[in-house]
Amino acid sequence: MEYKKFKEIEIYPLRDLSYDFLGIHFENPFILAAAPSTDDLDMVRRGFQMGWAGAILKTTSVEGTNVDLCYPMMSTFEYEGRKLFGMGNIDLISEHHIDKVEYNVRQLKKEFPEKMVAASIMAGRKEDWQRLVERLEKAGVDLIECSFSCPQGNIGEDQGKMLAQSISATELTATWVKEAAKRVLVSIKITPHVTDIVEVAKAVKRSGCDALTASNSIQALMGIDIKSFAPYPSLRGKSTYSGMTGPAIKPITLRTIAEIARNVNIPIMGTGGASTWSDAVEFMAVGAGVVEFCTVVMHYGFRVIDDLRSGLSHYLDEMQFTSPKEIIGKALPNIVSHDQLPRKRMRSHIHENLCIGCDLCYVACRDGGHSAIDRLENRIAHIEWKRCVGCGLCNLVCPVDGCIEMLEWK
Amino acid sequence: MNIALTQQQARIEAERCLQCFDAPCEQACPTHIKIPTFISMIRSGNIIGASEVVRTSHALVNVCGKICPEETFCQSVCTRSKQDDPIKIRELHFFATQEEAKRGFVSTLPFPKSKKKVAVIGAGPSGLGCAFELAKLGYQVDVFDKGKQGGVPSKSIPAFRLADKELESDTKFLSKYFSFKKKTINGNAFSQIQKSYNATFLAVGLGKDRPVEIPGEKLKGVLPVLDFLESAKMNPRKMKVGKNVVIIGGGNVSLDAAATAKRLGAESVILIYRRSEKEMLVWKGELEEARKQGVEIRFLTIPVALIGKKSVEGIKCRRTRLGKQKDKSGRAIPIEVKGSDFILEAATVIVAIGQSIAADWLEGFEREKGYIKVDMNFRTSQKGVFAGGDMIAGEGTIVQSVAQGKHAAQAIHEFISGKQR
Repeated sequence: MEYKKFKEIEIYPLRDLSYDFLGIHFENPFILAAAPSTDDLDMVRRGFQMGWAGAILKTTSVEGTNVDLCYPMMSTFEYEGRKLFGMGNIDLISEHHIDKVEYNVRQLKKEFPEKMVAASIMAGRKEDWQRLVERLEKAGVDLIECSFSCPQGNIGEDQGKMLAQSISATELTATWVKEAAKRVLVSIKITPHVTDIVEVAKAVKRSGCDALTASNSIQALMGIDIKSFAPYPSLRGKSTYSGMTGPAIKPITLRTIAEIARNVNIPIMGTGGASTWSDAVEFMAVGAGVVEFCTVVMHYGFRVIDDLRSGLSHYLDEMQFTSPKEIIGKALPNIVSHDQLPRKRMRSHIHENLCIGCDLCYVACRDGGHSAIDRLENRIAHIEWKRCVGCGLCNLVCPVDGCIEMLEWK
Repeated sequence: MNIALTQQQARIEAERCLQCFDAPCEQACPTHIKIPTFISMIRSGNIIGASEVVRTSHALVNVCGKICPEETFCQSVCTRSKQDDPIKIRELHFFATQEEAKRGFVSTLPFPKSKKKVAVIGAGPSGLGCAFELAKLGYQVDVFDKGKQGGVPSKSIPAFRLADKELESDTKFLSKYFSFKKKTINGNAFSQIQKSYNATFLAVGLGKDRPVEIPGEKLKGVLPVLDFLESAKMNPRKMKVGKNVVIIGGGNVSLDAAATAKRLGAESVILIYRRSEKEMLVWKGELEEARKQGVEIRFLTIPVALIGKKSVEGIKCRRTRLGKQKDKSGRAIPIEVKGSDFILEAATVIVAIGQSIAADWLEGFEREKGYIKVDMNFRTSQKGVFAGGDMIAGEGTIVQSVAQGKHAAQAIHEFISGKQR
């Protein structure tokens, strides 16, 4: 029998995850990044209603800017069954010009005054950058993110290059933007594709801009069809380099954020490869003030906010933190240069009672380590301590949680 | 079967979930647990969040986590089974709620407080489901039962399927949301209750074994199944069965009885069922388990007479074949085959052919096939009296009963707040 449907009564309290960052009050640290998910008013509305704390509307431009898209634009880096381990796109900026985005900003600020409504912009000439800033400021936007790092290159001179790959161009353009911004906050979205990310961050700092968004997608060639030799995504057999996002790029982003935070005193909006609440905690631990999400939303929908909020709440409880703000920068003191690392003699320890006898550690150590593992009669792996240098490889390949651990020689 | 998953097993299983949108599993669960959501939480390591999601929709999380017939509900429609195997949804659910039970219950929001009072008669799955939902809506709820809380799960589900601790974990969690009154209800008490509460929810279940109505039913050693299961659960050491046990039945309860008889030391346990395996309304897992334990099932067999002087010694059976005609349930009607009688030796015969309502004080209610008749809103023929669980539809599953209680609570809420008669 089918009974009358009713809305489930919530019985657990929603923890307060709000805090101030950049002078803005955020309901929680979870922001929708500039992406297809923020290109449409109804989509952002839905995201906000479901609990996202803010959104950066997809990168817009002045009227008349030619946005010449081509399809298909998405591709995947599938790895051992994870469909979107990495996602590639050859998308460009939004087809909506500033007039439409102004309208969306006004509408969203009216309907959701408590949410952070930001817009992303890209231009070539100084007057276009500044006009975009002025118009968005007037529309009531809380923050402007400047894309200096679209993997397909920036508008204007030196096409195909990213602005943020040039320190002087970054500083000059950021100065124009900041000059035009009276009230509104400005964040410069940068690329990790540079020799020294610290120099870029310093250039942004010198420009007077308020924050950095670190960092944009990774330029990537997503794959090749080995029969037709067409690269992915294939457009009648042709393709170009994609911007890769998703879990695959998380470690790159973490390093970028950490390196900036360790060297330059500037607020950071983290983005690039965060999918879960614990990813967000990691981003914040290396210095991000808020975390922007894109690929996971494009994969599973705005509903992922449920676990982001719930997971972070329980994490804060467990850690006895009163606010997400307490996480920011927590891991930074633990990142040191190689020469400052502790140099203790380590060894691997196999809990032989947990060993299931796959002998993956054996073969890894034999062919990629120091032949320090023996196979006992019943396939059980056994460490020969004298030969073990403690590299940790066996621990990585072991499929059983807690079976191998790294210990200090005593 | 039924060993809780480890953290790693749970994570690996959770990672198989496709995270379907508008997921069929969620629709198929009578309590509509947000399954993809809680599985995504197990995936991300937010186990307590996962348990919260399960509890938000279900009052008896550990009981159902342990014994809900998942292949009947959520897992039967799992999209993943179109690729390979369905997700082990019940086991993931149990993993999450057991973790919460281990770490300590998460405190709930303060519920609204109203002066209105509702009586729930019967502390089984349906009564408890209703009581919890009513508490969420702000009502003061008194739950009446002559025994301890839990109903069927506490009395007659064998301990090897459901340990007391799982039920106790659930009743302990629920205990602060209503007052439990241990009391035997009779006609007077019932009319007293009707007068002093704004509404009443009846959930007394069944509890009376149906007789098989063949000669010899009074012989010693012929046991009604509930008597048998209840005594076996209460007093497993004192309970004895004969060398050869025959069970007349075909439902889940008869499988419980068969497995219990085996465990009590019977050498041979034969279950006779009048139709074929296809028509058997049992959970496949239980059927397999019973077979594994050596229970023999004779399909297309009906009992004709019980044989013996003082004690039962055997049972005369007759073969059947399935006719073309179907009954209301859509299953073929068995037809007796002439001259096919045979005798099975039996020192114990357990009759498990269904139950009826034991509460004899329920007068003046409209009934259907002996069950209390309710409408879509769980209203009985008496104003302000609602009913749910096995007493309205016959033996069902725990999750269906909980769902009925939950929905009835909403109907009671509408009734008390004046939106319904």
